[in-house]
Amino acid sequence: MEREHLKLVIVGHVDHGKSTLIGRLFYDTDSLPREKLEEVRQICEALGRELEFAFVMDHLEEERSQGITIDTAQTFFKTAKRDYVIIDAPGHREFTKNMITGASQAEAAILIVDVSEGVQEQTRRHAYILSMLGLKQVIVVLNKMDLVGYSEEVFEKVRGHTLDFLKRIGINPTYVIPISAREGDNVASRSERMPWYTGPTILEALDTFKKTERRDGGPLRFAVQDVYNIEGKRIIVGRVEAGTLRRGDEIVILPTGERTRVKSIEEFMREGVEEAPPGKSTGITLEDKLFVDRGQILCRLEEETPKMVSEVKGSIFWMSSEPLQVGESVIFKCSTQEAPCRVEAIERRIDSSTLEVIEESSSRLENREVGEVTLSFASPVIVEDFNVTPELGRFVIEKEGNISGGGIITRLEG
Amino acid sequence: MITVIAIDALEYTLVEEFNMRNLKQDYYGRTDISEFSEPRTMVLWSSFMTGENREAEILAKGDKEMWNTRIPHEETFFSHFKNPFVLDLPGYNYDLEQHRRERELLKEFFEEKDEERKREVRRKYNENAFAHHRRVKERFFEALEGDYDFVLGYFSVADVIGHLNFGNRSLMKMIYRDLDDIVSRVEGKKIVLSDHGMKAVGAFGDHSDYGFWSTNFRDLGRPRITDFKRIVLQEALGE
Repeated sequence: MEREHLKLVIVGHVDHGKSTLIGRLFYDTDSLPREKLEEVRQICEALGRELEFAFVMDHLEEERSQGITIDTAQTFFKTAKRDYVIIDAPGHREFTKNMITGASQAEAAILIVDVSEGVQEQTRRHAYILSMLGLKQVIVVLNKMDLVGYSEEVFEKVRGHTLDFLKRIGINPTYVIPISAREGDNVASRSERMPWYTGPTILEALDTFKKTERRDGGPLRFAVQDVYNIEGKRIIVGRVEAGTLRRGDEIVILPTGERTRVKSIEEFMREGVEEAPPGKSTGITLEDKLFVDRGQILCRLEEETPKMVSEVKGSIFWMSSEPLQVGESVIFKCSTQEAPCRVEAIERRIDSSTLEVIEESSSRLENREVGEVTLSFASPVIVEDFNVTPELGRFVIEKEGNISGGGIITRLEG
Repeated sequence: MITVIAIDALEYTLVEEFNMRNLKQDYYGRTDISEFSEPRTMVLWSSFMTGENREAEILAKGDKEMWNTRIPHEETFFSHFKNPFVLDLPGYNYDLEQHRRERELLKEFFEEKDEERKREVRRKYNENAFAHHRRVKERFFEALEGDYDFVLGYFSVADVIGHLNFGNRSLMKMIYRDLDDIVSRVEGKKIVLSDHGMKAVGAFGDHSDYGFWSTNFRDLGRPRITDFKRIVLQEALGE
């Protein structure tokens, strides 16, 4: 049986110990290939130092960036219960951008805070994105407890400040755990140096989290990526964004509204495939020869279909030095849809670091600001509220050929 | 008190790419070494310590003899300090025997045709360089505890290892992280300086034609290596 895996994002201020924590998680769960570890250990020894997890991460990252490592084992760490996939490389230059385009896939998050420094600018920014993406399964770890003598008093103080801040942005972490990633306290094993802490270790806490519900029986959303003609067959390739696609399903094609039936599910070297689960990229053929194109969404006839709207409202995190401006045209990308849109209004422009509202109504959104933006479309797009169907509720904005912002849809209009 | 962390072949672009925050300090950039015909270690450090372009004089000694250069203390700006400590600097007091051994192994490596024996020579070469690095680190940290008004530590590991392993980025990154860590452990005013950088030539490394500098006290713009005499003396002694 295939092991379950849960996608995890680890965020926090750059110096607060992300790399060390990731290295520690890999190491303590015995998830690193031994020969790699040995290689790093030897280099550390040559340099006259102990094995440090930041070095382990360096090694893995470098290999990955050069495309040497395709071995997926290295992006996983394992517990008895399941595998965890870390979906973000720490220390990346475009970290925030990745958060928007990548963290949106995460099912759980660890927010790391250096207990000797408390919440910093980047902590705020990253936490704000977690909140914007609606991540509910969040662990806060207060790291570097070794630097404050494993003091309960310091922990409680910083815990209080951190929770106050998170409450203001609507994050209610499931756990707050005192750890030392460097020393291994409360990561995989309980710390004897903090007998006052009776909660779970990071691994225990993670194992209590649930796989984000994939609504198997829920409404089908199949996003068309491309259409190929192979050996006389017209194969529609796409991704099951939500629901489960079954052979024989009566479907409706949006936005054309045409109806047909799924004739077959086509997979390489497999015959008679009956269904494709959520998240699966696959090919299908249809009973009738209808016009199908990239960007269209196939839904099940008897189910509720998504709305086609000409206006949406969404929270956007802007991450380009070129501001987003009211009145300009940009490209909206959601699932496989790509549509030009006009920026109608920008409300509640927020500094993502201080979380202060800069302006209630504004003509622009600058780099690293968050705003509630209204976008209008010349021809309708197929989208849904993020909290109903996340897969069709998140989008990115492309301006002048660059991905410049990302966000989630909070309201549909028209 | 001011500390100079002199790092041979520390490459500006790699410091940027690896985002080594301690190596970068508050201000950092490239040095201008365009006045020299070639980025040569001995020429550059000799010019650094005297505040004068010593290229002609050093090159005149010839390829072999130049490595034995020992510039007299009174010709260097170190002599302006009452109690300076300079560790292993080429052209001043570096370990000749260590360097001779490095060059010997390097020569052996390039002359060796058999791949397996080549690997073995490289292993020896790396081991020799790392052992030296560990000794230098130890002495450097001891010196920081000592009663000196100027400390300069010279680290050759990025250059020596880089020549035969520059293509191994994860190894280079770990070396940079170690150097980054060294800088983080130095208190007070400090300058990080390299003679030249390094560029990839296949799996190997050759010198690039600019150096790296950083400080925790002010922006130096694009300094020449001979400017550091003045900068150090001004910052440390107000001269």
